[in-house]
Amino acid sequence: MLARVANNLFWMGRYIERSEHIARYLNINYFSSLDAPNQMSQSRQFVLRSMIFMVDDPVSDPDKILAEEEVLFDIGLNPTKNYAIINCLKYARENANSARDLISFELYESINKLYHSISNYCPEKFVKNGLYDFSLLVTKSTAAIRGKIRGTLLHDEVYAIIMLGINIERAHQVIRTINAKYHDALIAKGSYGDLIKNSYEWTTLLKCADAYDMMRRFDKRTPTSISTLEFLILNNNCPRSVMNSLNQIDKYIKVLSENVILEKNSAAFLIGKIRAEFEFKTIDDFEEDLNDFFEKTLNKLMEIGLKMEIEYFNVN
Amino acid sequence: MNLPIFSSYDFDSRFYDEIFDKDKKVREIYTTLFSLFSEHSVQDFVKLNDQAKASFFNQGITFQVYNENETKEKIFPFDLFPRIIDAEEWLVIEKGVLQRSKALNLFLWDIYHDKKIIKQGIVPLEMISSSTNYLHQMMHLDPPGGIYNHISGTDLIKHSDGNYYVLEDNIRCPSGVSYVICNRTALKRALHGVFNHYKSYTVTDYAQNLLEILETVKPKGVDNPNCVVITPGIFNSAYYEHSFLAKEMGVQLVEGRDLFVENDFVYMKTINGPVKVDVIYRRIDDLYIDPLEFSPSSALGVPGLFAAYKKGNVCLVNAPGTGVADDKAIYTYMPQIIKYYLDEEPILNNVHTYHCSRQKELDYVLNNIASLVIKPVDESGGYGISIGNKLSKEEISEVKKTVQANPRKYIAQPIMSLSTHATYIEGTESFEPRHVDLRTFTLLGAKKDFVLKGGLTRVALKKGNLVVNSSQGGGSKDTWVLMKQ
Repeated sequence: MLARVANNLFWMGRYIERSEHIARYLNINYFSSLDAPNQMSQSRQFVLRSMIFMVDDPVSDPDKILAEEEVLFDIGLNPTKNYAIINCLKYARENANSARDLISFELYESINKLYHSISNYCPEKFVKNGLYDFSLLVTKSTAAIRGKIRGTLLHDEVYAIIMLGINIERAHQVIRTINAKYHDALIAKGSYGDLIKNSYEWTTLLKCADAYDMMRRFDKRTPTSISTLEFLILNNNCPRSVMNSLNQIDKYIKVLSENVILEKNSAAFLIGKIRAEFEFKTIDDFEEDLNDFFEKTLNKLMEIGLKMEIEYFNVN
Repeated sequence: MNLPIFSSYDFDSRFYDEIFDKDKKVREIYTTLFSLFSEHSVQDFVKLNDQAKASFFNQGITFQVYNENETKEKIFPFDLFPRIIDAEEWLVIEKGVLQRSKALNLFLWDIYHDKKIIKQGIVPLEMISSSTNYLHQMMHLDPPGGIYNHISGTDLIKHSDGNYYVLEDNIRCPSGVSYVICNRTALKRALHGVFNHYKSYTVTDYAQNLLEILETVKPKGVDNPNCVVITPGIFNSAYYEHSFLAKEMGVQLVEGRDLFVENDFVYMKTINGPVKVDVIYRRIDDLYIDPLEFSPSSALGVPGLFAAYKKGNVCLVNAPGTGVADDKAIYTYMPQIIKYYLDEEPILNNVHTYHCSRQKELDYVLNNIASLVIKPVDESGGYGISIGNKLSKEEISEVKKTVQANPRKYIAQPIMSLSTHATYIEGTESFEPRHVDLRTFTLLGAKKDFVLKGGLTRVALKKGNLVVNSSQGGGSKDTWVLMKQ
């Protein structure tokens, strides 16, 4: 496979995954907040700040009043914002188009169709009353796209590269989501009359990661900070956990580096290393300083991404 | 003729209508189709037309149109009414286009080697030396398998006399074949109940044959050639076709930046390191394939590619420099070229052509612009064409000036009466006659040739318009070549 095209497939996977996480974050936070149990978490400003925190740098001015329609437009449909869902899908499609000879008609068609549906979405409708419909369209369609990836492609190097992109992005997004909701729980702390550990935001967090129902199956008690973080970071069986993503990344990098003796600090080596670290982690190891843990994990993932670029996608 | 959907079918007896004869009776070959169509209501056609359009759009079977501020993605309009060609008529076309392709190949070999045809005074030297598409770098160079024009697109029209005429031969990078195949798929989906009443040849075997042709021209000493398609990139208007052909052949679609040349061999950069490339089906024009040899500013090509080609280490398909033979001035010599190399009479007719480079003919052209089509000899895509009877007085004098300024650049032909065919028109929600032509696709390899049984019927969607190119607002139809009964 051409190195350039491998890069395209990798980023196609990443952008598809990214658009899904952002869309779900908008949907869950917006609608959960409507009947949230306290005034702070019901506040529009609280939700809008949380949304921006997830996709961009946090709003630094505490007195700034955010306009709901503006924030929604920026994250959903503003073509000048790099993080906007419309741009994620545009980049996903461009990357898919560059690798069009390697992917199936069905896969390209499903990506292309979603892009056109979103780029033709009426912004006015979206910001006034279309958020549910819009975000559902993205999350449903991206799930269908993943189905096409799994069901219509050869499970070879092409598939491995796409899955690497999807899973690296998933680990990134899940950590960003946890970070954003952790931040929300800290802000809303006082308003719960309780400690941060029993915040309503943990339930919202699980829903943002599409993991709430399974969490209830796994642990029947009301989600707490500990049980939620343990589930979303360390559980091997939760498909959206960081651990599971790392397992997948490790699995697929091995497809690309079959029969290769791993060099120290190569991408595959670093992936194995971080996965092994996670395997023997317990929540006690990072509960004390979650911010530090998030930052370090994101940096490691970024380093892996850069290594992959040098080792596999370097076209110069 | 009592179908509501045909109620606005306006005859113009100056043209050959492919559906109805002079007495307004449906021609025999279309009777079954016509009666099957009568089972559909106007609403059915509106729905089918919308579905077909959406299907093309969602699949990304589109081309890009660039404006000042934005890039628009457009589908190549597809018409639901297929064109049918019977077995006998097709046989003539097939033999005729193959004959032309073979003759052009021999002509190219000759003018890049001994130039016998010039020495014998059959084609004047200035036709070659003044052509902007002539490449001196190709002199005495033997392309693998002796083939220059592996892929030829021949444009034919049916004149009011009911005969086919060749309008032009395209042997640089002829495009459109992906639409032939996609049109068939779309038509089968929309009107399978009609399609299965006719026994027509498949068009899906094109890619397989193309790959086989590419493999016949592999460089010496290569057993299993690694073939690739090279594209300028996703922003090229024909990118869909490039990706389609690569996918259908199961070969890599590469860009210039994916390739490099080392010791006169060409390699592509893969995730597992360099892999040698043997045959390149290039969809990049001559000028841009190698900045070291041709246009130095080109970022699309591969530095050193031509040197590797010269050494015989890689085959370029089509060969560089073929454009000299699809020059519209060379076209006029086609009957002589066929006779000279093949000792055969041309099977297909040429349209009479006036060379503006010859004083007498130039005088005639300048005095008769209103009844002629003026074409630049070295442009493609329908650009630069002036149709005399559509021009105002001012425009005619403009054209005169342009031609006089550079007579070698222009030829003129009588305005040919392109046949008309039933075409669905969205504005009136009915079928109306529109002018059509036919582009055929011929493949030439070492000891193998192939003519695609079908072709691209292009249709000028604007009423009365004679230019069918997609860049000029044309659409296309599925084309059925019937098997012998």
